[in-house]
Amino acid sequence: MMSRNSFSVVTGQKLALSFFLVGKIIRFLFFFGFLYFLLLGTGSLAGYSDKQIIFFFLTFNLIDVVSQFLYREVYSFRPMIINGDFDLVLVKPINALFRVLMGGADIIDLFTIPPLIILTVYFGILLNPNPLSIFYYLLLLLNGFLIATGFHIMILSFAIVTLEIDHMVMIYRDLTSLGRLPVEIYGKTLQAFLTYLIPVGIMVTLPAKAIMNLVGPAGILTAFSVGVLTIFVALKFWNYALTKYSSASS
Amino acid sequence: MVSFEQEFAYRLNFVLWRVRNVFQILLTYFLWSSVFANPQTQIFGYDRTKILTYVFGIMIVRALVFSARAMDVSQDVAHGDLSNYLLKPVSYFKYWFTRDVASKFLNLSFAALEFTALFLILKPPFFFQTNLLSLLIFLVSIILAILIYFLLLFIVSSTPFWVPEIAWGSHFLVTVVIIEALSGSLFPVNILPVGIRSVVMATPFPYLIYFPVEVYLGNIAGAGLVGGIMVASAWVGVLWISLNYVWQKGLKVYQAIGR
Repeated sequence: MMSRNSFSVVTGQKLALSFFLVGKIIRFLFFFGFLYFLLLGTGSLAGYSDKQIIFFFLTFNLIDVVSQFLYREVYSFRPMIINGDFDLVLVKPINALFRVLMGGADIIDLFTIPPLIILTVYFGILLNPNPLSIFYYLLLLLNGFLIATGFHIMILSFAIVTLEIDHMVMIYRDLTSLGRLPVEIYGKTLQAFLTYLIPVGIMVTLPAKAIMNLVGPAGILTAFSVGVLTIFVALKFWNYALTKYSSASS
Repeated sequence: MVSFEQEFAYRLNFVLWRVRNVFQILLTYFLWSSVFANPQTQIFGYDRTKILTYVFGIMIVRALVFSARAMDVSQDVAHGDLSNYLLKPVSYFKYWFTRDVASKFLNLSFAALEFTALFLILKPPFFFQTNLLSLLIFLVSIILAILIYFLLLFIVSSTPFWVPEIAWGSHFLVTVVIIEALSGSLFPVNILPVGIRSVVMATPFPYLIYFPVEVYLGNIAGAGLVGGIMVASAWVGVLWISLNYVWQKGLKVYQAIGR
């Protein structure tokens, strides 16, 4: 019902909707085109073929766009905290975290997800995966969404504690966008940072590597441990943040 | 002064905005560093030194060109706050231009610090331009870029005169998506095939980042250099005329919504 309300709000502003939709499509096409022309000149990148690099990029987009679709409400959480309107969420008989996390799905991404899935499947098939690697890919994709969920919960918690969210959510997006390309292209220190501390590598790079037969059961297990740990820490932080909510201006 | 006070009033916001800039540079830096991992590689007209100088050059040129407050004009128009300024004996364009200059100064200071820190950490090979004429034309191209960006921002910010609900939507499409991609801040325009590159070079966007950095690198000289400066100057003229036309038309339909 919350998603339906959110869709109604957006469809009421058709021109704004079309601007954002066109903008998102153009941005995707620009980076896709950039990668295409770059790989046309270089042939490969960090030891990966052109098709593999494009698959990394598509997998990143899939996780990024689906998270934005589901968790768009996070982007409008700050006014709720600043004005004290979060009180109205807390008193309702619905899980407050669920409400502020998933209370406003983004209809724009509903248009972009189907073609993105088709492209990902198409380029995935070009890599000749076997059934097991496809299974691993889907598992790790799920784990990627789990980590993305954890990050969004942490951003919400951070917003309650510091009243800052706009740049925090964009920093999260900038950090994850480092996963548009395999983390191997980064220096060793940054690679370790992106794999273990801010697990962008596990969230985005690892699923794509699974379809290339580059991940074994141990990798899957490690990835899921990181995923579960991320959610655990995020929920702990959320519970802590709730105790710091000051109900300002209300 | 107003710009300084506003930026420092929201210090965490400003610091996080600068952190974002560093992350964006890291992706570009490591991408190109990976492509040019072999120091002998020569591709798209660059060697390792020049492409990494291009990436570091983006940091400084972005701070000079893209640091601007004039994006807020669209909110003034959409929410009716423009009325406050129309009643005062100040030029609205000059007011925002001076705020932009202050913002550029502030951002440039931080960009210089980031540049130094990243330079010391990453230790990239760097191309120092020693030709005084190239440096002088680089400065001219930066001034033209600042003017082009300011005029573009104002034109895009005029859309809410007619459609107030797309104040941010129009900036997202033009400023965040199109300018970001075609200005050369993500990739140098000359990785594109000749046909597409010619079309892109006819637009004002590559004269914001790509052209100034290429001038610094000495990759554009002779007729290309003169032609580039002429095209950028022509765009300043065209955009200035367009802005005046759009702004006057906009003021006639301005309804001070919300006032």
